[in-house]
Amino acid sequence: MMRTVFLAFFSVGLVLSTSGCTDFVELNQLAFIIGTAIDYAENGQIEVSQQIVIPSKKEDPSKREGSSSFFVMSAKGKDVFQATQKIQLRMSRKLMANHRMIIAISEEYFKKDDVRKLFDKLIRDPANNLRDTIVMIKGGSAKEFLMLNHPIEPLSTIAVGKELQINGMRSFSSRQFVIETLTKGARPFMPVLQIENVKLSKEHDSPVAELHGFAVLDHHLKVKGILGLPEAPGAIWMSGKGSSQGATIPWNNNKDVVSFRLTRLQRQMTSANGHDPKHMVLTVKAQAYLLENTSQQDMSEVENMMELQKCLNKQIQKELQSTIEKVQQWGPDVFGIGEYLHHNYPYWWKSQRDDWDDKFKRIEVTVKTDIILRSIGVSGAPVK
Amino acid sequence: MKVSGYQIFWMISISSMIIFSYLPIKLAAEKSYQDSWISILLGGLIMMTITWMVLRVCRQNMDKTLVGFMKDLLGTVLGKIIVAVYFLHWFMQMSLIAKGTADFQNLVMLHNTPMIVILSCMMFLAVYALYKGGITVIGRCAEIIGPFFVFMLYAQLFLNPQDMDIKRILPIYADSGWFSILEGTLSSVNYMIDPSIILMLFFFAENKQTASRAILWGTAVSMLWGVIATLVVLFVTGPSIAAELVVPIYSLSKYVSILNFVQNIDAIFIPLWIIGAFIKVAVCLFILSYGLSEWTGFTNWKRIGCVISVIWLAYVLYGSHNIRISNTLRSTLLVSFFYPLVYIGIPLILWFIGSIRKHWKT
Repeated sequence: MMRTVFLAFFSVGLVLSTSGCTDFVELNQLAFIIGTAIDYAENGQIEVSQQIVIPSKKEDPSKREGSSSFFVMSAKGKDVFQATQKIQLRMSRKLMANHRMIIAISEEYFKKDDVRKLFDKLIRDPANNLRDTIVMIKGGSAKEFLMLNHPIEPLSTIAVGKELQINGMRSFSSRQFVIETLTKGARPFMPVLQIENVKLSKEHDSPVAELHGFAVLDHHLKVKGILGLPEAPGAIWMSGKGSSQGATIPWNNNKDVVSFRLTRLQRQMTSANGHDPKHMVLTVKAQAYLLENTSQQDMSEVENMMELQKCLNKQIQKELQSTIEKVQQWGPDVFGIGEYLHHNYPYWWKSQRDDWDDKFKRIEVTVKTDIILRSIGVSGAPVK
Repeated sequence: MKVSGYQIFWMISISSMIIFSYLPIKLAAEKSYQDSWISILLGGLIMMTITWMVLRVCRQNMDKTLVGFMKDLLGTVLGKIIVAVYFLHWFMQMSLIAKGTADFQNLVMLHNTPMIVILSCMMFLAVYALYKGGITVIGRCAEIIGPFFVFMLYAQLFLNPQDMDIKRILPIYADSGWFSILEGTLSSVNYMIDPSIILMLFFFAENKQTASRAILWGTAVSMLWGVIATLVVLFVTGPSIAAELVVPIYSLSKYVSILNFVQNIDAIFIPLWIIGAFIKVAVCLFILSYGLSEWTGFTNWKRIGCVISVIWLAYVLYGSHNIRISNTLRSTLLVSFFYPLVYIGIPLILWFIGSIRKHWKT
């Protein structure tokens, strides 16, 4: 009898401790962080803001006014943890960063402080997943970005995450970013957002965070330049990170335009003549689908198709070449050409890898295009 | 007490995979970066050779455990002294795994649970298995857990194809050169598998022929896993991060994101690692207490097991307050003297003496 009682108590004790009851955290004791913002503060401090979702309001788009589905808490501290801890002290729930989608860093912070020191926390603390995206906020503060509303999405951060996904710019996770920061032959490329007032309906206009371009960062993560939207997709393509994009080119002696959807974006690097690392050839590949044609020509004719493909290749080549030259003037090798040279000319690379930002400027890069016209759409000649 | 070859296979593969997933990848990547997979591969081959050699020793002395044949070959006094080195080694392995598991759980999930609770649970389980029948029970457990464990660990490596970039291991050889690659091998090889447990386990095998085949296969399965795991870690994170990740396989499971939907699956893997650690710890505890009972002549090895586990608990708890004791992974004394002696030196001597004896008899 005693034995049974003893065993029963003992097993209850075991069950309680093995299920981790000493550390239980219920779902209603958690606060999910969806976005984090880093801003510059005086005296060597940083301001960390956390965007926390209010779960009960998330599924209620009808009551948009007045009751938003999130709130933002911020605090200053010497590092990310200290500031977050200050926020935690004011919270009734435990902060959980496992589901974060965006880390926004203000342009001011990039200028005045060292972004590299933020990454230790990202890798060291097991609460981070490195699946989120790091973006830069141009102009305003990053905290302001977290506080914005969005016309369709419940949170501005979710909107940005989806925006990048849907537009075929997927390889911008913070893991990717940290890897590029640590590699000697490639430099990171970071989405830049700008807060702009947009008139969304007749009654009111509201501030919305819009994709402004991509920042070209050097080895010390200082911004060397920002590629605007007409050029940025090309640069993403050339750095091997794009998956699809659109292209519009002049046609018929600049009288008309034609537009394409480009899919299966790829890029390939080779050195010219096969052995000269100082002269690189970057070949971009894609499949094009003609989706709009303002001219009167019948695109189902083979001659026109040939001409179209030739013209598309030529035009894209010209644009990409000028983008590369622009980036080369700034210095940072966002295309990973250094990494290619590192892989293929490892011994030559050893003498080049220090100061690559500077040496990259002197590498001659030629762009070649290999775009195939896959389809002219579902109508041949324009409807008259 | 007898175990089948099938059970031995699972015991060997689980106990080497558990330690493989936790230590050697970082140690190799620190030295040879993108070539760490070559280091691991070389280490795996070295370990396979050592396992083969240890098996030769075991086949020569099939009817005795390590304690028995050591006494036979080296004489009572010397044999007893040298076996004590093995006892020390198993005890340290056990504490290493126990401390690693407890620290990891404290860091990742159970922030407030006292370490003693986690350790006592693990210890209780190991002692319980020991009491219920020793190696037979551990073998049964391994047989049940093994297929899940090995399959899940292999499957995990292929869960982040979208993050993999094969080019991250380039350029091969040129950056590090042979010296760094060998350095990586030397610092990691000791933590890939523990061939010395075979010296004890083999005695309990039912059929020696199938058992030695099972042991070789078990080693091969975990070595293959280790090489693939190193490659995958390099593909996903690149060499610079891989060298910094303390628990690379755990970090790998954090990166998994299948269709932006299946994420944070580390919670599934953590229990699996704990179960794997249980097998490893239980095997060590069993051979330690059985060996000690032969060594002292005190036949009740179950009671010895209890005493050891209390000492073990005390040691791990004390060690966790002393950073120097609990971080001996890179200790030169261990890596360049102790492990080579335990894994290669002593078995080689035993093999040598055994062969001479056999030759003399015939």
